[in-house]
Amino acid sequence: MVDYLWNTQSPLQKALVAGRHGVAGAQAGVTLVEVRDLVLVQVMARRGKAADTAKAAKKLFGVDAPNTPKAVAGKSATLVWSGPDQFTVLAPRTDESSQIDAMSQAFSGAASLSDQSDGRCLIRVSGPRGRDAIAKFSSLDLHDAAFPVGTAANTSVDHTAVNCWREANGADGHPVYSMLVFTSFADSLWHAIVDSSLEYGVDTSRTRAA
Amino acid sequence: MRIACPFCGERENGEFTYLGDASPKRPTFAVDSGESPERVEDAFYDYVYLRDNVAGFMREYWYHGGGCRSWLIAERNTVTHEFRSVTAAPGVGASKPVQAGE
Amino acid sequence: MKYSIFSLAKAALSGHQGWTRAWRDPAPKSHYDVIIIGGGGHGLATAYFLANEYGIRNVAVLEKGWIGSGNAGRNTTIIRSNYGLPGNTGFYELSMKLWERMEQDLNYNAMVSQRGIINLYHSDAQRDAFARRGNTMRINGIDAELLDAVQIRKELPFLNYDSPRFPIMGGLMQRRGGTARHDAVVWGYARAADQRGVDIIQNCEVTGFVRDQNGKVTGVETSRGKISAGKVGMAVAGNTSRVAAMAGMKLPIESHVLQAFVTEAIKPLIPGVVTFGAGHFYISQSDKGGLVFGGDLDGYNSYAQRGNMPVVEDVCEGGMAVMPMIGRVRMLRQWGGIMDMSMDGTPIIDKTPIDGLYLNAGWCYGGFKATPASGLVFAHLLARDEPHPEAARFRLDRFRRGAMIDEKGQGAQPNLH
Ligand SMILES: Cc1cc2nc3c(=O)[nH]c(=O)nc-3n(C[C@H](O)[C@H](O)[C@H](O)COP(=O)(O)OP(=O)(O)OC[C@H]3O[C@@H](n4cnc5c(N)ncnc54)[C@H](O)[C@@H]3O)c2cc1C
Ligand SMILES: [Zn+2]
Repeated sequence: MVDYLWNTQSPLQKALVAGRHGVAGAQAGVTLVEVRDLVLVQVMARRGKAADTAKAAKKLFGVDAPNTPKAVAGKSATLVWSGPDQFTVLAPRTDESSQIDAMSQAFSGAASLSDQSDGRCLIRVSGPRGRDAIAKFSSLDLHDAAFPVGTAANTSVDHTAVNCWREANGADGHPVYSMLVFTSFADSLWHAIVDSSLEYGVDTSRTRAA
Repeated sequence: MRIACPFCGERENGEFTYLGDASPKRPTFAVDSGESPERVEDAFYDYVYLRDNVAGFMREYWYHGGGCRSWLIAERNTVTHEFRSVTAAPGVGASKPVQAGE
Repeated sequence: MKYSIFSLAKAALSGHQGWTRAWRDPAPKSHYDVIIIGGGGHGLATAYFLANEYGIRNVAVLEKGWIGSGNAGRNTTIIRSNYGLPGNTGFYELSMKLWERMEQDLNYNAMVSQRGIINLYHSDAQRDAFARRGNTMRINGIDAELLDAVQIRKELPFLNYDSPRFPIMGGLMQRRGGTARHDAVVWGYARAADQRGVDIIQNCEVTGFVRDQNGKVTGVETSRGKISAGKVGMAVAGNTSRVAAMAGMKLPIESHVLQAFVTEAIKPLIPGVVTFGAGHFYISQSDKGGLVFGGDLDGYNSYAQRGNMPVVEDVCEGGMAVMPMIGRVRMLRQWGGIMDMSMDGTPIIDKTPIDGLYLNAGWCYGGFKATPASGLVFAHLLARDEPHPEAARFRLDRFRRGAMIDEKGQGAQPNLH
């Protein structure tokens, strides 16, 4: 029998060339990071079980699950709204099966879960010109007043579904946006972001979820 | 046009797909109820093919496929493209139990 | 005045001061044998054929704005007869034959230009479908050639043949297809109809129908008063449902907006009409030099003669995919027209259930090429009270009978036809 070796690899294996791209200068206008090693679970309340689902989420994560387009930081995970009565749970991968088991038990009977861990790619955009770069390909209104820290949105970029939310501002005081995209479209979104960022200078890298 | 999704907020209409008039209702005839075939056929002909094709405000289905993936019902003026209201279609989300006719 | 090289020379000698208006501007009479509602190409062609072929000259065309202000003056001017289904094939070929003699018939330069239309294919399956359509055309005596990529490259070297996503594998060419100057078609029919006694009455909106005690339509209410008529024919394209509603009729039609675009003028580049088979994009070059192109419907019901940005983007993406050099040319204008989308994508030319009222509608976005044949067969129906043989399948009751003519196979979802 042939032995198969299952190696997870980044959907940006080829596209992401770590380093500085575009305009050179002391400081890059945009910082682009692929965040790896995530556990990602989609939670969808069952018919008539929205309240039970909310209760289970509160118990497991210690916060109210978002019921409007928001991202909420909870115990050991971030909960990102992804539609009416559904949200996505994001956690750094530690022991995947026990992480998922814990969720299965907590939401048993209330919500349906779907493991998306290697089905999506998380890209983080920051830096002083990050927002300007995104504005070139996204139709979201990212003004501070319309899209403050903690805001989330399901949107589409070039016909591709993207979940976008705003993290706490970076150490440089500039906004930080996270974008979750299907792995099979990650390459194309990555290129769109890099292209849009070249004129500002862009630093690209890969990191582990923390 | 920008469409104010009741869940996502105002978005460009490229994120949405159009189904059409929300008023035609699928005829319901009980099987073997003795209804004449003519009447059944007429009712389905009307439902499938005939349209009021309103010039003015119309209730219509939109799907927010490029966003929260919810079916919505909008009241939109077909002459000016002005939206008067956008609400969730019956059955969207899980909060409410299943309703008859969904 | 007959137009010819001699009348042109004569007018030139007198400094072009001697031209007379091409049609009269009469006040409405109190009665006509036939009233046509709608002064687009179809309404005017109908009036012309009524007078010219069927000897009915006491005819009025009532137009709410100016003639050609609707889709007749808004389309991308493509003419072709490459339809595959019984009912359509013969009808559109009849139309093509009428295009070929239109300028002589009307004594008017409609700039009919048989510069060819090519439908590109990008997959084996699409080639097979086009081969089949081409064969249907040839069996019916219509010209069609299946070309491969090498042959097309010779004629259209600027297309994107090697795109990995949408490689151009070949195309179905109809050399007799092409374009015509849309406004000139309207003006040519208006002038010829007027010369044969037809009253063309502009700024005259039909606001209701006059009915007798049996419900028969005996005239129309208009913004310029009541006018009685032996028969009334509707040819109002995107406004069909609105006018039909005045007679209490509900139709298998939805109104949708279609946009068109034109760029700044450039030197002659595109020899004929090219359509992209992997998206929805078609393009030709006008005699002024502008690239004229379009794509899909916006997709939502509309009576506004303007569309929205997503379709602009979609059309431009289609253009960039098949012809990347188009990205270097600037867009000049963009507009929209209201399409009478029928439930199977095919027109309806028939009597209505209401006595005295006749319907010509459901042209979707392909009615310009139909203009002459539509006029002829509608005139035939109005004159003889029976369908013209080439339009015998365009019946209003075909949906009820399950006899749809659905070229695209989309079913009753008009925004997809
Ligand atoms: C952007 C665009 C591109 C197109 N491209 C092509 C193409 O390439 N090839 C092709 O074959 N077809 C094309 N078409 C379709 C074609 O233009 C139409 O199918 C055709 O013109 C419809 O017939 P018509 O000319 O009689 O319509 P119209 O010109 O619209 O005539 C209808 C007239 O009725 C009048 N009217 C309406 N209501 C009333 C009333 N109550 N009283 C009096 N008058 C009234 C209107 O003012 C209008 O002038 C295109 C259409 C559009 C909008
Ligand atoms: Zn939404």
